[in-house]
Amino acid sequence: MGLTKKYGSTLAVDHLNLEVQEGEILGLLGPNGAGKSSALMMLSTIIKPTEGTAEVGGFDVRKNPYEARELIGIAFQEAKLLWMNTPWEILNWHAKVCGVKNPRQAAEAILKELNLWDARKKLALELSGGMKKRVEIAKVLVQRPKVAIVDEPTAQIDISGKYQIWEKIRSLRDEGSTIILATNELSEADRLADRVAIMCHGRLRICDTPRNLKDSIPGGDVIDIRFETPVENRAVSELKGIAGIVDLALVKPTHMRIYLNRAEKMLPKIMQLLSTLHVGINSINMKEPSLDDVFFHYTGTILDETQATPGVPSP
Amino acid sequence: MERDLQSLIRHKSILVMRWFFVIVQIGIFGLAVSRLIVVMPNYYNYYAMGVIVMTMYSVAIFTGYEIYDEADDGFVEYLLSLPITRRELVLGRSLAGGLRSFIFMSPIIAVFLLIIGVLDPLKVLTALVALYGFAFGVSGLSITLAVGLKSGDRFDIIMGALDAFIVRLSTALYPQAFMPGPIATLSMFNPLSYATDLFRWSLNFDIRFLANPAVALIVLVIFLMTFNFAGVMIYERNLEGGSWR
Repeated sequence: MGLTKKYGSTLAVDHLNLEVQEGEILGLLGPNGAGKSSALMMLSTIIKPTEGTAEVGGFDVRKNPYEARELIGIAFQEAKLLWMNTPWEILNWHAKVCGVKNPRQAAEAILKELNLWDARKKLALELSGGMKKRVEIAKVLVQRPKVAIVDEPTAQIDISGKYQIWEKIRSLRDEGSTIILATNELSEADRLADRVAIMCHGRLRICDTPRNLKDSIPGGDVIDIRFETPVENRAVSELKGIAGIVDLALVKPTHMRIYLNRAEKMLPKIMQLLSTLHVGINSINMKEPSLDDVFFHYTGTILDETQATPGVPSP
Repeated sequence: MERDLQSLIRHKSILVMRWFFVIVQIGIFGLAVSRLIVVMPNYYNYYAMGVIVMTMYSVAIFTGYEIYDEADDGFVEYLLSLPITRRELVLGRSLAGGLRSFIFMSPIIAVFLLIIGVLDPLKVLTALVALYGFAFGVSGLSITLAVGLKSGDRFDIIMGALDAFIVRLSTALYPQAFMPGPIATLSMFNPLSYATDLFRWSLNFDIRFLANPAVALIVLVIFLMTFNFAGVMIYERNLEGGSWR
Protein backbone atom coordinates (compact mmCIF):
# COMPACT_ATOMS: atom_id res chain seq x y z
CA MET A 1 0.00 0.00 0.00
CA GLY A 2 1.98 2.97 -1.27
CA LEU A 3 5.16 1.24 -0.14
CA THR A 4 8.06 3.61 -0.66
CA LYS A 5 11.74 3.47 0.19
CA LYS A 6 14.26 6.25 -0.23
CA TYR A 7 17.99 5.98 0.47
CA GLY A 8 18.99 9.61 0.76
CA SER A 9 17.84 11.13 -2.50
CA THR A 10 17.58 7.77 -4.29
CA LEU A 11 14.06 6.49 -4.68
CA ALA A 12 14.38 2.70 -4.56
CA VAL A 13 10.70 1.80 -4.31
CA ASP A 14 8.07 4.25 -5.48
CA HIS A 15 4.57 3.84 -4.03
CA LEU A 16 4.29 0.13 -4.67
CA ASN A 17 0.77 -1.27 -4.52
CA LEU A 18 0.67 -5.02 -4.90
CA GLU A 19 -1.49 -7.77 -3.45
CA VAL A 20 -0.12 -11.28 -3.18
CA GLN A 21 -2.83 -13.92 -2.95
CA GLU A 22 -2.63 -16.64 -0.35
CA GLY A 23 -1.12 -19.87 -1.67
CA GLU A 24 0.22 -18.45 -4.93
CA ILE A 25 3.69 -18.10 -6.33
CA LEU A 26 4.16 -14.48 -7.33
CA GLY A 27 7.12 -13.86 -9.61
CA LEU A 28 8.70 -10.47 -9.14
CA LEU A 29 10.60 -9.51 -12.26
CA GLY A 30 12.87 -6.60 -12.82
CA PRO A 31 16.42 -5.64 -13.70
CA ASN A 32 18.98 -4.98 -10.99
CA GLY A 33 18.10 -1.74 -9.25
CA ALA A 34 14.39 -2.10 -10.04
CA GLY A 35 13.58 -2.06 -6.32
CA LYS A 36 12.74 -5.75 -5.94
CA SER A 37 15.15 -6.44 -3.10
CA SER A 38 14.23 -3.25 -1.23
CA ALA A 39 10.54 -4.14 -1.51
CA LEU A 40 11.23 -7.63 -0.19
CA MET A 41 13.38 -6.25 2.63
CA MET A 42 10.52 -3.99 3.70
CA LEU A 43 8.08 -6.84 3.49
CA SER A 44 10.26 -8.99 5.70
CA THR A 45 10.66 -6.06 8.17
CA ILE A 46 14.43 -5.91 7.70
CA ILE A 47 14.20 -2.27 6.68
CA LYS A 48 11.46 0.22 7.42
CA PRO A 49 9.48 1.88 4.64
CA THR A 50 9.99 5.61 4.19
CA GLU A 51 6.31 5.93 3.33
CA GLY A 52 3.34 3.60 3.11
CA THR A 53 3.17 0.16 4.58
CA ALA A 54 2.52 -3.50 3.83
CA GLU A 55 0.57 -6.24 5.51
CA VAL A 56 1.72 -9.81 5.93
CA GLY A 57 -1.02 -12.22 6.97
CA GLY A 58 -3.00 -9.26 8.27
CA PHE A 59 -0.09 -7.83 10.28
CA ASP A 60 1.17 -4.37 9.44
CA VAL A 61 4.94 -4.45 8.96
CA ARG A 62 5.26 -1.08 10.68
CA LYS A 63 2.91 -1.63 13.61
CA ASN A 64 3.37 -5.36 14.17
CA PRO A 65 6.78 -6.20 12.70
CA TYR A 66 7.40 -9.11 15.04
CA GLU A 67 4.10 -10.80 14.20
CA ALA A 68 4.75 -10.27 10.49
CA ARG A 69 8.26 -11.65 10.85
CA GLU A 70 6.95 -14.81 12.48
CA LEU A 71 5.09 -15.62 9.26
CA ILE A 72 7.98 -14.91 6.90
CA GLY A 73 11.03 -16.84 5.81
CA ILE A 74 13.51 -15.33 3.38
CA ALA A 75 16.23 -16.82 1.23
CA PHE A 76 18.48 -13.95 0.22
CA GLN A 77 19.95 -13.31 -3.18
CA GLU A 78 23.45 -13.61 -1.75
CA ALA A 79 23.76 -16.45 0.76
CA LYS A 80 23.91 -14.99 4.25
CA LEU A 81 25.46 -17.75 6.28
CA LEU A 82 27.53 -18.10 9.40
CA TRP A 83 30.75 -18.69 7.51
CA MET A 84 32.51 -20.42 10.38
CA ASN A 85 29.64 -22.87 10.85
CA THR A 86 28.73 -26.00 8.95
CA PRO A 87 25.50 -26.45 6.94
CA TRP A 88 24.33 -28.83 9.66
CA GLU A 89 24.87 -26.23 12.41
CA ILE A 90 23.39 -23.42 10.30
CA LEU A 91 20.17 -25.29 9.56
CA ASN A 92 19.81 -26.63 13.09
CA TRP A 93 20.22 -23.17 14.56
CA HIS A 94 17.90 -21.59 12.03
CA ALA A 95 15.24 -24.25 12.64
CA LYS A 96 15.50 -23.77 16.41
CA VAL A 97 15.25 -19.97 16.21
CA CYS A 98 12.24 -20.27 13.90
CA GLY A 99 10.50 -22.66 16.27
CA VAL A 100 10.54 -25.70 13.97
CA LYS A 101 9.47 -28.91 15.72
CA ASN A 102 12.20 -31.57 15.69
CA PRO A 103 14.81 -29.23 14.22
CA ARG A 104 17.46 -31.93 13.87
CA GLN A 105 15.20 -34.23 11.91
CA ALA A 106 13.97 -31.37 9.72
CA ALA A 107 17.53 -30.22 9.03
CA GLU A 108 18.65 -33.75 8.19
CA ALA A 109 15.76 -34.27 5.77
CA ILE A 110 16.38 -31.02 3.89
CA LEU A 111 20.14 -31.53 3.72
CA LYS A 112 19.55 -34.94 2.16
CA GLU A 113 16.90 -33.66 -0.24
CA LEU A 114 19.19 -30.89 -1.51
CA ASN A 115 22.22 -33.19 -1.82
CA LEU A 116 24.03 -31.35 0.96
CA TRP A 117 24.29 -34.24 3.39
CA ASP A 118 27.84 -35.17 2.43
CA ALA A 119 28.91 -31.54 2.89
CA ARG A 120 27.11 -31.11 6.21
CA LYS A 121 30.35 -30.98 8.23
CA LYS A 122 32.24 -28.57 5.98
CA LEU A 123 32.55 -24.93 6.98
CA ALA A 124 30.20 -22.70 5.00
CA LEU A 125 33.14 -20.66 3.69
CA GLU A 126 34.61 -23.81 2.12
CA LEU A 127 31.47 -24.58 0.11
CA SER A 128 31.14 -23.81 -3.61
CA GLY A 129 28.91 -20.91 -4.69
CA GLY A 130 26.13 -23.27 -5.71
CA MET A 131 26.27 -25.15 -2.42
CA LYS A 132 26.15 -21.92 -0.41
CA LYS A 133 23.08 -20.92 -2.37
CA ARG A 134 21.47 -24.30 -1.68
CA VAL A 135 22.11 -23.88 2.05
CA GLU A 136 20.43 -20.47 1.81
CA ILE A 137 17.37 -22.03 0.15
CA ALA A 138 17.45 -24.87 2.67
CA LYS A 139 16.81 -22.34 5.46
CA VAL A 140 13.43 -21.48 4.00
CA LEU A 141 12.64 -25.11 3.24
CA VAL A 142 13.44 -26.20 6.78
CA GLN A 143 11.39 -23.33 8.20
CA ARG A 144 8.33 -23.89 5.95
CA PRO A 145 7.02 -20.37 6.60
CA LYS A 146 3.54 -19.12 5.81
CA VAL A 147 5.10 -16.57 3.46
CA ALA A 148 8.35 -17.56 1.77
CA ILE A 149 10.43 -14.96 0.00
CA VAL A 150 13.04 -16.35 -2.35
CA ASP A 151 15.37 -13.92 -4.05
CA GLU A 152 16.92 -15.42 -7.19
CA PRO A 153 16.78 -18.94 -5.77
CA THR A 154 18.64 -20.69 -8.56
CA ALA A 155 21.39 -18.17 -9.26
CA GLN A 156 24.76 -20.00 -9.40
CA ILE A 157 23.03 -23.37 -9.38
CA ASP A 158 23.52 -25.97 -12.12
CA ILE A 159 20.66 -27.12 -14.33
CA SER A 160 19.75 -30.28 -12.41
CA GLY A 161 19.91 -28.30 -9.18
CA LYS A 162 17.56 -25.69 -10.66
CA TYR A 163 14.94 -28.32 -11.45
CA GLN A 164 15.30 -29.71 -7.94
CA ILE A 165 14.83 -26.30 -6.31
CA TRP A 166 11.89 -25.43 -8.56
CA GLU A 167 10.26 -28.67 -7.48
CA LYS A 168 10.87 -27.82 -3.82
CA ILE A 169 9.40 -24.35 -4.28
CA ARG A 170 6.31 -25.84 -5.91
CA SER A 171 5.86 -28.36 -3.13
CA LEU A 172 6.26 -25.59 -0.55
CA ARG A 173 3.41 -23.77 -2.30
CA ASP A 174 1.37 -27.00 -2.45
CA GLU A 175 1.77 -27.36 1.32
CA GLY A 176 0.13 -23.96 1.77
CA SER A 177 2.94 -21.41 1.72
CA THR A 178 2.59 -18.22 -0.26
CA ILE A 179 5.75 -17.62 -2.24
CA ILE A 180 7.26 -14.43 -3.56
CA LEU A 181 9.92 -15.26 -6.08
CA ALA A 182 12.19 -12.43 -7.15
CA THR A 183 14.13 -13.32 -10.23
CA ASN A 184 16.01 -12.02 -13.23
CA GLU A 185 15.37 -15.24 -15.09
CA LEU A 186 12.28 -14.95 -17.20
CA SER A 187 12.12 -18.68 -17.80
CA GLU A 188 12.12 -19.27 -14.06
CA ALA A 189 9.18 -16.93 -13.57
CA ASP A 190 7.38 -18.50 -16.52
CA ARG A 191 7.79 -22.00 -15.12
CA LEU A 192 6.97 -21.29 -11.50
CA ALA A 193 4.85 -18.20 -11.08
CA ASP A 194 1.08 -18.18 -10.92
CA ARG A 195 1.27 -14.43 -11.44
CA VAL A 196 4.09 -12.17 -12.49
CA ALA A 197 4.70 -8.61 -11.33
CA ILE A 198 7.09 -6.47 -13.33
CA MET A 199 9.01 -3.74 -11.56
CA CYS A 200 11.16 -1.08 -13.15
CA HIS A 201 12.72 2.04 -11.59
CA GLY A 202 11.02 1.27 -8.28
CA ARG A 203 7.56 1.13 -9.79
CA LEU A 204 5.17 -1.71 -10.47
CA ARG A 205 4.45 -1.77 -14.19
CA ILE A 206 1.98 -4.66 -14.37
CA CYS A 207 0.90 -7.75 -12.48
CA ASP A 208 -1.07 -10.65 -13.97
CA THR A 209 -0.82 -14.32 -14.89
CA PRO A 210 1.89 -15.14 -17.45
CA ARG A 211 -0.87 -16.14 -19.91
CA ASN A 212 -2.73 -12.84 -19.55
CA LEU A 213 0.50 -10.87 -19.73
CA LYS A 214 1.44 -12.56 -22.98
CA ASP A 215 -2.04 -12.01 -24.36
CA SER A 216 -1.90 -8.38 -23.36
CA ILE A 217 0.71 -7.64 -26.03
CA PRO A 218 -1.21 -6.60 -29.16
CA GLY A 219 -0.25 -9.05 -31.89
CA GLY A 220 2.10 -10.85 -29.59
CA ASP A 221 1.45 -14.30 -31.07
CA VAL A 222 3.06 -15.14 -34.39
CA ILE A 223 2.02 -17.72 -36.98
CA ASP A 224 4.55 -18.47 -39.71
CA ILE A 225 3.08 -20.18 -42.77
CA ARG A 226 5.20 -21.51 -45.64
CA PHE A 227 3.33 -22.15 -48.88
CA GLU A 228 4.00 -24.60 -51.71
CA THR A 229 3.69 -21.77 -54.26
CA PRO A 230 3.83 -17.97 -54.00
CA VAL A 231 0.76 -16.73 -52.20
CA GLU A 232 -1.80 -14.69 -54.16
CA ASN A 233 -2.86 -11.15 -53.21
CA ARG A 234 -6.44 -12.34 -52.77
CA ALA A 235 -5.41 -14.71 -50.01
CA VAL A 236 -3.48 -11.93 -48.31
CA SER A 237 -6.36 -9.46 -48.39
CA GLU A 238 -8.89 -12.05 -47.22
CA LEU A 239 -6.65 -13.06 -44.33
CA LYS A 240 -6.26 -9.39 -43.35
CA GLY A 241 -10.02 -9.22 -43.14
CA ILE A 242 -10.24 -11.85 -40.36
CA ALA A 243 -11.10 -10.13 -37.09
CA GLY A 244 -8.34 -10.58 -34.57
CA ILE A 245 -5.42 -10.48 -36.97
CA VAL A 246 -3.37 -7.46 -35.96
CA ASP A 247 -0.85 -7.46 -38.80
CA LEU A 248 0.39 -9.62 -41.62
CA ALA A 249 3.63 -9.58 -43.57
CA LEU A 250 5.06 -11.49 -46.49
CA VAL A 251 8.61 -12.40 -45.55
CA LYS A 252 8.99 -14.12 -48.94
CA PRO A 253 6.39 -14.82 -51.62
CA THR A 254 6.04 -18.30 -50.10
CA HIS A 255 6.41 -17.25 -46.44
CA MET A 256 3.75 -15.33 -44.56
CA ARG A 257 4.00 -14.04 -41.00
CA ILE A 258 0.76 -13.25 -39.16
CA TYR A 259 0.70 -11.22 -35.92
CA LEU A 260 -2.32 -11.80 -33.71
CA ASN A 261 -3.56 -12.70 -30.23
CA ARG A 262 -4.69 -16.12 -29.10
CA ALA A 263 -3.15 -17.87 -32.10
CA GLU A 264 -4.40 -21.28 -30.98
CA LYS A 265 -8.01 -20.07 -31.26
CA MET A 266 -7.50 -18.22 -34.54
CA LEU A 267 -5.61 -20.94 -36.39
CA PRO A 268 -8.70 -23.02 -37.40
CA LYS A 269 -10.27 -19.93 -39.02
CA ILE A 270 -7.08 -19.19 -40.96
CA MET A 271 -6.76 -22.79 -42.08
CA GLN A 272 -10.38 -22.86 -43.18
CA LEU A 273 -9.90 -19.77 -45.32
CA LEU A 274 -6.70 -21.05 -46.91
CA SER A 275 -8.38 -24.37 -47.64
CA THR A 276 -11.30 -22.60 -49.29
CA LEU A 277 -8.81 -20.73 -51.49
CA HIS A 278 -7.01 -24.02 -52.31
CA VAL A 279 -3.65 -22.72 -51.08
CA GLY A 280 -1.06 -25.47 -50.62
CA ILE A 281 0.79 -25.33 -47.28
CA ASN A 282 4.26 -26.69 -46.57
CA SER A 283 4.52 -25.89 -42.87
CA ILE A 284 2.92 -23.94 -40.06
CA ASN A 285 4.74 -22.61 -37.02
CA MET A 286 3.11 -20.98 -34.04
CA LYS A 287 4.96 -18.90 -31.48
CA GLU A 288 3.52 -17.22 -28.46
CA PRO A 289 5.27 -14.20 -26.95
CA SER A 290 7.76 -14.94 -24.20
CA LEU A 291 8.02 -13.08 -20.93
CA ASP A 292 10.98 -11.35 -22.61
CA ASP A 293 8.51 -9.78 -25.02
CA VAL A 294 6.17 -8.92 -22.14
CA PHE A 295 9.00 -7.37 -20.19
CA PHE A 296 10.09 -5.32 -23.19
CA HIS A 297 6.53 -4.25 -23.90
CA TYR A 298 5.97 -2.90 -20.38
CA THR A 299 9.38 -1.51 -19.55
CA GLY A 300 10.84 -0.59 -22.93
CA THR A 301 14.00 -2.46 -21.96
CA ILE A 302 15.18 -6.03 -22.12
CA LEU A 303 16.46 -7.84 -19.08
CA ASP A 304 20.22 -7.78 -19.38
CA GLU A 305 21.37 -11.33 -19.94
CA THR A 306 24.37 -10.73 -17.74
CA GLN A 307 22.05 -10.19 -14.81
CA ALA A 308 20.49 -13.60 -15.20
CA THR A 309 22.23 -16.87 -14.67
CA PRO A 310 22.69 -19.02 -17.71
CA GLY A 311 21.01 -22.26 -18.02
CA VAL A 312 17.59 -23.47 -18.73
CA PRO A 313 15.76 -23.12 -22.01
CA SER A 314 12.33 -21.54 -22.08
CA PRO A 315 9.42 -23.94 -21.74
CA MET B 1 23.81 -16.50 22.59
CA GLU B 2 24.47 -20.04 21.45
CA ARG B 3 25.89 -18.71 18.20
CA ASP B 4 28.16 -16.17 19.92
CA LEU B 5 29.51 -18.79 22.29
CA GLN B 6 30.21 -21.15 19.40
CA SER B 7 32.31 -18.44 17.78
CA LEU B 8 34.37 -18.10 20.98
CA ILE B 9 35.16 -21.81 21.02
CA ARG B 10 36.15 -21.72 17.34
CA HIS B 11 38.80 -19.06 17.94
CA LYS B 12 40.98 -21.22 20.18
CA SER B 13 44.27 -19.67 19.06
CA ILE B 14 43.06 -16.17 19.96
CA LEU B 15 41.90 -17.46 23.34
CA VAL B 16 45.27 -19.01 24.14
CA MET B 17 47.13 -15.91 22.95
CA ARG B 18 45.07 -13.62 25.15
CA TRP B 19 45.38 -15.92 28.17
CA PHE B 20 49.11 -15.90 27.66
CA PHE B 21 49.09 -12.10 27.60
CA VAL B 22 47.10 -11.85 30.85
CA ILE B 23 49.28 -14.43 32.58
CA VAL B 24 52.45 -12.59 31.59
CA GLN B 25 50.95 -9.26 32.63
CA ILE B 26 49.91 -10.51 36.06
CA GLY B 27 52.71 -13.03 36.59
CA ILE B 28 55.70 -10.95 35.50
CA PHE B 29 54.84 -7.26 35.19
CA GLY B 30 52.49 -7.35 38.19
CA LEU B 31 55.04 -9.00 40.43
CA ALA B 32 57.82 -6.65 39.35
CA VAL B 33 55.85 -3.44 39.66
CA SER B 34 54.32 -4.41 43.01
CA ARG B 35 57.82 -4.50 44.49
CA LEU B 36 58.23 -0.85 43.54
CA ILE B 37 54.96 0.20 45.17
CA VAL B 38 55.56 0.52 48.88
CA VAL B 39 52.99 3.13 49.83
CA MET B 40 50.09 0.75 49.27
CA PRO B 41 49.75 -2.59 51.02
CA ASN B 42 49.28 -5.58 48.74
CA TYR B 43 49.47 -3.68 45.45
CA TYR B 44 50.00 -6.95 43.61
CA ASN B 45 46.44 -8.09 44.33
CA TYR B 46 45.12 -4.63 43.50
CA TYR B 47 46.92 -4.70 40.16
CA ALA B 48 45.94 -8.29 39.28
CA MET B 49 42.27 -7.60 39.98
CA GLY B 50 42.47 -4.50 37.80
CA VAL B 51 44.04 -6.43 34.93
CA ILE B 52 41.29 -9.06 35.13
CA VAL B 53 38.55 -6.43 34.81
CA MET B 54 40.47 -4.58 32.08
CA THR B 55 40.77 -7.77 30.09
CA MET B 56 37.06 -8.42 30.53
CA TYR B 57 36.52 -4.95 29.04
CA SER B 58 38.74 -5.59 26.04
CA VAL B 59 37.05 -8.93 25.26
CA ALA B 60 33.51 -7.60 25.70
CA ILE B 61 34.22 -4.69 23.37
CA PHE B 62 34.65 -7.18 20.50
CA THR B 63 30.87 -7.52 20.20
CA GLY B 64 30.87 -4.23 18.27
CA TYR B 65 33.60 -5.38 15.87
CA GLU B 66 31.55 -8.47 15.15
CA ILE B 67 28.64 -6.31 14.10
CA TYR B 68 30.83 -4.75 11.41
CA ASP B 69 31.99 -8.17 10.25
CA GLU B 70 28.38 -9.27 10.07
CA ALA B 71 27.41 -6.15 8.16
CA ASP B 72 30.20 -6.86 5.65
CA ASP B 73 28.92 -10.41 5.20
CA GLY B 74 25.32 -9.17 4.97
CA PHE B 75 24.60 -11.29 8.00
CA VAL B 76 22.91 -8.41 9.85
CA GLU B 77 20.04 -8.62 7.37
CA TYR B 78 19.64 -12.30 8.12
CA LEU B 79 19.52 -11.60 11.86
CA LEU B 80 16.94 -8.86 11.30
CA SER B 81 14.75 -11.28 9.33
CA LEU B 82 14.52 -13.81 12.15
CA PRO B 83 11.37 -14.06 14.27
CA ILE B 84 12.93 -12.44 17.30
CA THR B 85 12.32 -8.94 18.62
CA ARG B 86 15.02 -6.29 18.24
CA ARG B 87 15.22 -6.10 22.02
CA GLU B 88 15.89 -9.83 22.25
CA LEU B 89 18.45 -9.55 19.50
CA VAL B 90 20.46 -6.74 21.11
CA LEU B 91 20.12 -7.99 24.67
CA GLY B 92 20.95 -11.52 23.53
CA ARG B 93 24.12 -10.25 21.91
CA SER B 94 25.04 -8.16 24.94
CA LEU B 95 24.41 -11.02 27.33
CA ALA B 96 26.41 -13.34 25.10
CA GLY B 97 29.21 -10.77 24.77
CA GLY B 98 29.34 -10.53 28.56
CA LEU B 99 29.17 -14.27 29.01
CA ARG B 100 31.85 -14.80 26.41
CA SER B 101 34.33 -12.51 28.16
CA PHE B 102 33.34 -14.14 31.43
CA ILE B 103 34.00 -17.65 30.09
CA PHE B 104 37.22 -16.42 28.53
CA MET B 105 38.49 -15.09 31.86
CA SER B 106 37.07 -17.82 34.10
CA PRO B 107 40.18 -20.09 34.16
CA ILE B 108 42.36 -17.11 35.13
CA ILE B 109 39.85 -15.89 37.72
CA ALA B 110 39.63 -19.40 39.21
CA VAL B 111 43.41 -19.70 39.53
CA PHE B 112 43.64 -16.17 40.95
CA LEU B 113 40.97 -16.88 43.58
CA LEU B 114 42.84 -20.03 44.61
CA ILE B 115 46.12 -18.11 44.87
CA ILE B 116 44.69 -15.30 47.01
CA GLY B 117 42.67 -17.83 49.02
CA VAL B 118 39.21 -16.29 48.65
CA LEU B 119 36.90 -19.30 48.54
CA ASP B 120 33.83 -17.98 50.36
CA PRO B 121 30.99 -18.80 47.89
CA LEU B 122 29.06 -15.59 48.62
CA LYS B 123 32.10 -13.40 48.04
CA VAL B 124 33.07 -15.29 44.92
CA LEU B 125 29.51 -15.00 43.62
CA THR B 126 29.41 -11.24 44.29
CA ALA B 127 32.74 -10.79 42.51
CA LEU B 128 31.55 -12.78 39.52
CA VAL B 129 28.26 -10.88 39.33
CA ALA B 130 30.18 -7.59 39.36
CA LEU B 131 32.42 -8.82 36.54
CA TYR B 132 29.56 -10.16 34.46
CA GLY B 133 27.46 -7.03 34.96
CA PHE B 134 30.34 -4.90 33.77
CA ALA B 135 31.03 -7.07 30.72
CA PHE B 136 27.33 -7.04 29.85
CA GLY B 137 27.33 -3.23 30.00
CA VAL B 138 30.50 -2.99 27.90
CA SER B 139 28.94 -5.22 25.24
CA GLY B 140 25.93 -2.90 25.19
CA LEU B 141 28.25 0.11 24.89
CA SER B 142 30.11 -1.56 22.05
CA ILE B 143 26.90 -2.37 20.17
CA THR B 144 25.59 1.17 20.69
CA LEU B 145 28.77 2.75 19.32
CA ALA B 146 29.14 0.27 16.46
CA VAL B 147 25.60 0.75 15.23
CA GLY B 148 25.56 4.48 15.98
CA LEU B 149 28.82 5.31 14.20
CA LYS B 150 27.97 3.31 11.05
CA SER B 151 31.63 3.25 10.00
CA GLY B 152 34.19 0.62 10.86
CA ASP B 153 37.06 3.11 10.65
CA ARG B 154 35.38 5.61 12.95
CA PHE B 155 34.53 2.82 15.37
CA ASP B 156 38.16 1.66 15.37
CA ILE B 157 39.41 5.16 16.19
CA ILE B 158 36.81 5.78 18.88
CA MET B 159 37.39 2.40 20.50
CA GLY B 160 41.15 2.90 20.42
CA ALA B 161 40.80 6.28 22.12
CA LEU B 162 38.21 5.00 24.54
CA ASP B 163 40.37 2.04 25.44
CA ALA B 164 43.32 4.33 26.17
CA PHE B 165 41.29 6.75 28.28
CA ILE B 166 38.91 4.38 29.99
CA VAL B 167 41.81 2.37 31.44
CA ARG B 168 44.08 5.30 32.33
CA LEU B 169 41.27 7.43 33.73
CA SER B 170 40.07 4.67 36.03
CA THR B 171 41.07 2.98 39.23
CA ALA B 172 41.92 -0.22 37.35
CA LEU B 173 45.68 0.14 37.89
CA TYR B 174 46.03 2.79 40.61
CA PRO B 175 43.73 4.07 43.36
CA GLN B 176 42.02 7.42 43.14
CA ALA B 177 43.96 8.75 46.11
CA PHE B 178 47.19 8.67 44.10
CA MET B 179 45.81 10.37 41.00
CA PRO B 180 46.29 14.07 40.11
CA GLY B 181 43.14 16.11 40.91
CA PRO B 182 41.43 16.36 37.49
CA ILE B 183 42.19 12.74 36.64
CA ALA B 184 40.77 11.62 39.98
CA THR B 185 37.60 13.57 39.20
CA LEU B 186 37.28 12.03 35.75
CA SER B 187 37.81 8.54 37.16
CA MET B 188 34.64 9.04 39.20
CA PHE B 189 32.64 9.02 35.95
CA ASN B 190 34.24 5.88 34.67
CA PRO B 191 32.33 2.58 34.97
CA LEU B 192 35.61 0.65 34.87
CA SER B 193 36.56 2.28 38.19
CA TYR B 194 33.39 1.09 39.85
CA ALA B 195 33.53 -2.39 38.33
CA THR B 196 37.11 -2.97 39.48
CA ASP B 197 36.43 -1.52 42.93
CA LEU B 198 33.32 -3.65 43.36
CA PHE B 199 35.29 -6.71 42.28
CA ARG B 200 38.06 -5.89 44.75
CA TRP B 201 35.60 -5.20 47.55
CA SER B 202 33.98 -8.61 46.97
CA LEU B 203 37.42 -10.20 47.31
CA ASN B 204 38.22 -8.51 50.65
CA PHE B 205 40.53 -5.80 49.39
CA ASP B 206 41.17 -2.90 51.78
CA ILE B 207 38.08 -0.67 51.47
CA ARG B 208 40.09 2.50 52.16
CA PHE B 209 41.35 2.37 48.59
CA LEU B 210 38.00 1.64 46.97
CA ALA B 211 34.80 3.43 46.00
CA ASN B 212 31.73 2.89 48.12
CA PRO B 213 30.44 -0.57 47.04
CA ALA B 214 26.77 0.53 47.11
CA VAL B 215 27.57 3.47 44.83
CA ALA B 216 29.65 1.18 42.63
CA LEU B 217 26.76 -1.23 42.29
CA ILE B 218 24.31 1.54 41.40
CA VAL B 219 26.68 3.01 38.80
CA LEU B 220 27.22 -0.41 37.27
CA VAL B 221 23.48 -1.06 37.01
CA ILE B 222 22.87 2.38 35.47
CA PHE B 223 25.74 1.78 33.04
CA LEU B 224 24.53 -1.56 31.78
CA MET B 225 20.91 -0.45 31.55
CA THR B 226 21.71 2.80 29.74
CA PHE B 227 23.87 1.29 27.04
CA ASN B 228 21.76 -1.76 26.43
CA PHE B 229 18.65 0.39 26.14
CA ALA B 230 20.49 2.79 23.82
CA GLY B 231 21.74 -0.21 21.84
CA VAL B 232 18.20 -1.45 21.25
CA MET B 233 17.01 2.01 20.18
CA ILE B 234 19.89 2.76 17.83
CA TYR B 235 19.98 -0.76 16.40
CA GLU B 236 16.31 -0.48 15.48
CA ARG B 237 16.57 3.05 14.11
CA ASN B 238 19.79 2.77 12.13
CA LEU B 239 19.63 -0.76 10.83
CA GLU B 240 15.93 -0.84 10.02
CA GLY B 241 16.23 2.62 8.55
CA GLY B 242 18.38 0.96 5.92
CA SER B 243 21.18 3.51 6.23
CA TRP B 244 23.68 0.66 6.64
CA ARG B 245 22.93 -0.77 3.22
